[in-house]
Amino acid sequence: MSSGRSTKAREVSINPQTWRWSHPRVLVEDPDEEAGLAIASGLRFAGYAVAVCPGPRGHGQCPLTGPAGCAPAHDTDLVVCNLGYEREVAREVLRELRTRYPNTLLLVVVPPEIDADLREVLDSCHQLPAGATPEQVVAAVQGISDHAAEDGAASA
Amino acid sequence: MRSPFHSEPEAFRFLLVVILALVPIVLAAALGPTWLALVVLAVVLGGVAARAAQLRMRKLRSPDLPVKMAPPHLGSAAERRVLVVANDTLSEEALLCEVERLGLAPRMHVLLLVPAVITPAARLTGAIDSLLDQARARMQAALDRVGHDNVAGKVTGEDPLEAIEDTFATFVPDEVIVATRWEQTAGGLEPRLAGLVRERFAVPVRHLVFEPGSAAQEPDEGTEARYQREFGAAAARKFGLTALAGAGILAALVMSLVALVRTTATNTTTLAVANQAAAALPTGAPSALTKVIELKVIASGKKGPDGKLHDDFTVTEFHVTVGQPLTLRIDNTDTVPHSITSPEAGVSIIVLPGTHDYTLLVKQAGKFEWHCVFPCDPWSMAQVGYMRGFITATAA
Repeated sequence: MSSGRSTKAREVSINPQTWRWSHPRVLVEDPDEEAGLAIASGLRFAGYAVAVCPGPRGHGQCPLTGPAGCAPAHDTDLVVCNLGYEREVAREVLRELRTRYPNTLLLVVVPPEIDADLREVLDSCHQLPAGATPEQVVAAVQGISDHAAEDGAASA
Repeated sequence: MRSPFHSEPEAFRFLLVVILALVPIVLAAALGPTWLALVVLAVVLGGVAARAAQLRMRKLRSPDLPVKMAPPHLGSAAERRVLVVANDTLSEEALLCEVERLGLAPRMHVLLLVPAVITPAARLTGAIDSLLDQARARMQAALDRVGHDNVAGKVTGEDPLEAIEDTFATFVPDEVIVATRWEQTAGGLEPRLAGLVRERFAVPVRHLVFEPGSAAQEPDEGTEARYQREFGAAAARKFGLTALAGAGILAALVMSLVALVRTTATNTTTLAVANQAAAALPTGAPSALTKVIELKVIASGKKGPDGKLHDDFTVTEFHVTVGQPLTLRIDNTDTVPHSITSPEAGVSIIVLPGTHDYTLLVKQAGKFEWHCVFPCDPWSMAQVGYMRGFITATAA
């Protein structure tokens, strides 16, 4: 017999803290906690302050897609995005990052097959193939940071 | 300032709820008596408070997912820094062996953080120093036992999580070990602390459980989840009880207010009915119980011997029967209150602006002088026939 109560997915929201450490800062978006921590650990030893965010999960609301915005994303120098871009909600996060923080560097771990929509979203983003090791991610972050620093020095 | 709303639809829903809540209150205020508006207001406020409490409790049971953070590694790449958080478990040999093992590793820095868990009761009774001394003694004994220069200790009276956060700014650990019992003991760390640290900091966190005489054990995911759940449920229960107490106090206040409003209304109605009944009686046969004397208080209403106008009661002589009430219908045309006060007769009637009914009751025979105690016309206050007069009470 039915109880009459609807089975509703429990909502989970992300509560971002603000940065307490100086630059350079890297935000790692990875739904896999272990993988995110492994990348963060490598980045810490490479001299970066890190934040690890699981991204939107289930029906959870990502503050990046709301009016309040995301404090860590706002103040970060580079975002490592590994949210699995088969999902529309992950693409939405990427779009918001590009729209709201156009000067923030984005390193996106991309799936093997990229459709036209994702290709458009990935425009001007740095890319890494799916399956990249934490060491490869750290090396890529260092490369992008160094290149950006050289560009900044040249333009100055 | 950040918007408290997550989205436009949320802000719109809030506006809609406010409007829907206001409609019955405004209708009750416009169409019904004051007490009904108060009751509706109380019901609406109660409903809103209950919903807010329900949402808060739901949030306590399933907290937000925080974004983990960590500062850059401090020192050379070969160095490692481990923070060990422990208190009551510092007496366990297995934990000391683990710290000793860590201290033996090359280029390793270990900080033993000992939060003296200070309860609100200890803060109230001033027992903080003894708790800090106990924590210091445990830490010193542990450091003496381990005996490595690269193992340091720190005692704190702060909340353990805040103390760990501060340590991230100074010691900058690469790994955190939280040592607890399976269940929290008096003065010991909460087992859920490891989960809270794991949620906030982007470094590896190990939760080691030490029980007397046994080796270190690591709780599985299910146990960690249970710690978080139990904490959430306990916090929700505590909040629920607080909310219930608050609701009880609010309800008592509203009920008192409604009772007060209704009592005032009933008294006025009763007097009015009594007075109407008295008016219906034939003249010359007044009932002692329903006798009404009408008078006024007029500011600058009566000329004095000095030729100037002074404040006055139009009737200043009252004749009553001992033990039998006399109704005074007084129209105070002034904008401030006045009074008929006679301590000897046990009479203190505060005459408010407007027309109201008052009861004059004297319990002993005699002639008593009364006067107005509210500073008004100084001359009138001293003159019988103005703001001063006599009450004559005769035995029944």
